Amino acid sequence: MGGMVAADLWEAEVLRRIGPAPAADFDQILSRLHSFHYTQNAPYRAFCQSLGVDSLVARWRDIPCVPQSAFKHADLRSFPAEETVQTFRSSGTTGEGFGQHHFRTLEVYETAVREGWRHAGLPSGPFLVIAPHPEEAPHSSLSHMLATLAAKEDFIAPGGVLDLNRLRNLSGPVCLLGTALGFLHLVEALGSERIALPAGSTAMETGGYKGSGRVVARSELYAMLGEKLGLVSEDIINEYGMTELSSQFYAKGPRGLHESPPWVRAVVVDPVTLRDVADGETGILLIYDGANVGSVVGIRTQDLAVKRGDAFELLGRDPSALPRGCSRAADEWLTL
Amino acid sequence: MADLMNTAERAEAIAGAAEPFHLLLGPTSARDLLAWVAAELGDASALDRWFTHGGARTKALAPDVILHVVSGNTPHAALQSLIGGLLLGSRNLVKLPGTGLGEVDEFFLRLPADLRAMVETSVELPSAWLSSADAVVVYGSDQTVAALRARVLPGKTFLGHGHKSSLGVIWHDPLFESCPGAARDASLFDQQGCLSPQVFYVREAQPGSAREYAEKLASAMDQFSATYPRGPLAIEEKAAIANLRAAYRFRAAGDLRVVLWEGGADLDWTVIYEEDAWFTASPLNRVVFVKPLPPDLAGAMGPAVDYVGAVGLWPCTEELADRFAALGPSRFCPVGNMQDPPWTWHNGGVPRLASLVKWVDFEPSSSLTI
Repeated sequence: MGGMVAADLWEAEVLRRIGPAPAADFDQILSRLHSFHYTQNAPYRAFCQSLGVDSLVARWRDIPCVPQSAFKHADLRSFPAEETVQTFRSSGTTGEGFGQHHFRTLEVYETAVREGWRHAGLPSGPFLVIAPHPEEAPHSSLSHMLATLAAKEDFIAPGGVLDLNRLRNLSGPVCLLGTALGFLHLVEALGSERIALPAGSTAMETGGYKGSGRVVARSELYAMLGEKLGLVSEDIINEYGMTELSSQFYAKGPRGLHESPPWVRAVVVDPVTLRDVADGETGILLIYDGANVGSVVGIRTQDLAVKRGDAFELLGRDPSALPRGCSRAADEWLTL
Repeated sequence: MADLMNTAERAEAIAGAAEPFHLLLGPTSARDLLAWVAAELGDASALDRWFTHGGARTKALAPDVILHVVSGNTPHAALQSLIGGLLLGSRNLVKLPGTGLGEVDEFFLRLPADLRAMVETSVELPSAWLSSADAVVVYGSDQTVAALRARVLPGKTFLGHGHKSSLGVIWHDPLFESCPGAARDASLFDQQGCLSPQVFYVREAQPGSAREYAEKLASAMDQFSATYPRGPLAIEEKAAIANLRAAYRFRAAGDLRVVLWEGGADLDWTVIYEEDAWFTASPLNRVVFVKPLPPDLAGAMGPAVDYVGAVGLWPCTEELADRFAALGPSRFCPVGNMQDPPWTWHNGGVPRLASLVKWVDFEPSSSLTI
């Protein structure tokens, strides 16, 4: 069986299992995806071998988690390079370079975006987007994700110029999508003006403020959006995602917990032993993303989180991690 | 009151109180302190009486009140700053980090009552402190320094000590004699100070010697750690080291240009050999990089070249110091002595006492002008 055929099969297998309910055989699928990646992906195989892990793992939790930064140094592609249809890049820092996540198909990615959104019970639109469209940011996974949810004409800051008129005189509730920095710029652009969005309007913010030199607490940003746009804090959603993943996590309200969609496992572990921490304790986040069919399943993030039952409370990056993040690229773009 | 004490008496009292802090401060006898005053002010009693200055006489005037703002990770910097202020005879307001600093409290309690009356500490910064201080000395992040600089009135003395990174250059050490000292430099104070080396650049006499140096350094780090274990780590510090190790483990698995030595079950120390000479900031707490010395070290430092604190050299010669002048440190010293700056060290490139004082000159009447 050639690699291409196997890749087709795996894409179909994963697609069938991305949906509202967890697939009964999901845990085995993750383990078998590991075997597939092990055979197709030389850097991943070398990493597994260095840890004494071979192509077969008994449980999904035994799948080695690749450090997020590895996407900067290695080609973590589980298919022939010439079959690449899309490459998303993480924003880089001087000297460190940027991470690259390659895709053989975007169908799995886009399905995960839509199903994840639906699973979190988020509004189906209409949307207004405060972020660059993929045509302006072709390597941004965030832009692609937003364009999967919203139409091109919903992007209200083309060329980095925010069209405030699109927020005025709305006839019904709307869902605003954007980076936290984008929302901050929106608040600043409003000055003393206040636009009361129609009742029932919501917002989804993501990306943080990394590298911008600015930090605004989630509760503070939500309070500002309440004051300026009349949004209710509990109707504002935080998205947690990264270029190296295909799936996203959502938390509602200023103190909401992030939950995984059914085809993803997020585990909070001790950074040294990688054993699960007890409920209420802090550790780093490991993410096993079943939709990462063309790269690797397990990602070791640089984010700290508190385990809260099956969900997690995101604390964010460890302070020493280099400033980087998708919000940064959007900030430079907005202030051009 | 301390006003009644002269500089020599203050030096005596300070030296007594500083005794238990030998490891933090290095030699701190009254003689060391007075030599510091003499080196910076031209005369050990420059604050007490007129002394000859060119054709005239002069006397140093200490600021009435010095505000010291010190960060949590550098108790030795806090003590050094306070000791300087006491030596000058100024009143000292010390803004401590939120968690306090046990070393400063202990030092304070060991001072005689006269000098204790010249010190006030607080974990908050009362706004009255900023306005009442004649001089402000700040140790902290660049943001903290900039924020406080903006709040200090022009005309007042401001000394800001922002973030610094230090490094070592091993120029010629075929027998790896510098390794124990390099391990000490990179381990003491768990790399929290601005004099802590984060990278050692090794000139390669033959290919592979930097890598070999890293291996020897790892074993020296291990030995040092057995005698002086690392301090406790917060979860985010643990995560930072563990994540860095994981990242380099991944790279080492498929790349011979990267080698990782990991000490202890609990992140005791880490040595990373990396062929890429680009300066890599350590997550601190005994994580040190070893890289081959590139032809253009200042270039390989990237943006970090603007933040070089000290450069440890082996051997430490003036010729090598001149060769690496472009790094712009405020100190070249032998590897192994990086954590032992003399009191006279120009921290941040400026004299620490002389920058705080003002001068009053006296010209005696001369028979010619009568």
